[in-house]
Amino acid sequence: MPGDSKVSPEALEQELCDRFERVVPKVVNSDSHLVWRGRNLTADCVVQIGTVPFLLRIEEGSIRECRKGLPLLRSWVFAVRGSAQGWAALWQNPPPPGWHDIFALTKRGEMVLEGNLHPLMANLQYFKDLVTLPRKGGSR
Amino acid sequence: MNTKDMEPIVGRYIRVPVMGEDCRVYFEEAGQGIPLVCLHTAGADSRQFRHLMCDEAVTGNFRVIAFDLPWHGKSYPPAGWEKREYRLTTELYVATIRAFCSALGLKRPVAMGCSIGGRIILQLAHAHGPEFRALIGIESADFQQPWYDTNWLHRSDVHGGEVCAALVSGLIAPQSPEEHRQETLWQYMQGGPGVFKGDLYFYRVDADLRGRLKGINTAVCPLYLLTGEYDFSCQPEDTRRTASAIPGVKVTIMKEVGHFPMSENPAQFRKYLMPVLEEIRQLKS
Repeated sequence: MPGDSKVSPEALEQELCDRFERVVPKVVNSDSHLVWRGRNLTADCVVQIGTVPFLLRIEEGSIRECRKGLPLLRSWVFAVRGSAQGWAALWQNPPPPGWHDIFALTKRGEMVLEGNLHPLMANLQYFKDLVTLPRKGGSR
Repeated sequence: MNTKDMEPIVGRYIRVPVMGEDCRVYFEEAGQGIPLVCLHTAGADSRQFRHLMCDEAVTGNFRVIAFDLPWHGKSYPPAGWEKREYRLTTELYVATIRAFCSALGLKRPVAMGCSIGGRIILQLAHAHGPEFRALIGIESADFQQPWYDTNWLHRSDVHGGEVCAALVSGLIAPQSPEEHRQETLWQYMQGGPGVFKGDLYFYRVDADLRGRLKGINTAVCPLYLLTGEYDFSCQPEDTRRTASAIPGVKVTIMKEVGHFPMSENPAQFRKYLMPVLEEIRQLKS
């Protein structure tokens, strides 16, 4: 897998989490067209980067909360969990072949989709665009 | 009339009998010379080949013809469609292609198909090779591992066009121009309900061609397989595995394109296609 072998797994995960937190809520909420495209999605979902889960509270396409870690006994609707190297590759610009889409990653076993997938599938392009935002908005 | 801005593509309808049903098939064409019949991907239509039909380096030597399969684009489903679920099969797909070529009176055309079109190219090479001057499979393999449940494609509570497009959007290379990416997705958004799913019945269920392609004679009908490096549905290794069992087949892995080369990045695609077409042009008919 392509990646920066000089970075430790822990440091890579930390850097990816920082990028996600820094980029996704801000960019989504400042993009009125992206919010409009997600207008039919209201759900609490989990995005997990390596070992770190984020709770995303999406309300009519806006991100109301992006919280690192899951509170005890907190329910969620669907989860997208990927390995750190999977997210790192997805967010490279350009990403390497076979690592460039969430379904490319699920096919190769670097990502899983869990829970009630109906809200995800009914708003799929919006959500794919949301989780791919760090590709162009990160520090790399 | 301002002819300067008019494209050379001409569209017509033809009635084609296919397995006992009367099909009104829409096709577009441009150019003169060797007939080159183009087969679109699952759930899409012949517009995918519009760039090829406007490429004078191609149309100077080839009569490029692209048709919409029944149920797709501007070809209606056969009468009575509302009483059944659409399912494409290997037999129906082959019969449709052969009937279309026959209806147009094409003599040993070249056929080029992408995705499901690439799969059926292999079946044509296997069972009907002598009928074709050459065959070109784009994103072509005898089998590939499924990567989602096709039941999501046809539900009352998920917009079919939007979910079809969103699923296949990842098959487009990140380098492909945004305008062409979005045009490719628009084709998927316009498919009829259940049509993409019905095409994938052929792809996933009916046409596992592993071990069923013996006897392809590339001396009689040259076979070319071109696959984009960003296609994670039909991966380059799927094409290479398929080719390893076919003596004489020529394989090209295309950089910076995905599953829809002719539609998502026509400029990149032609770099790989033109040498193939030139080789075909020089074949003795």
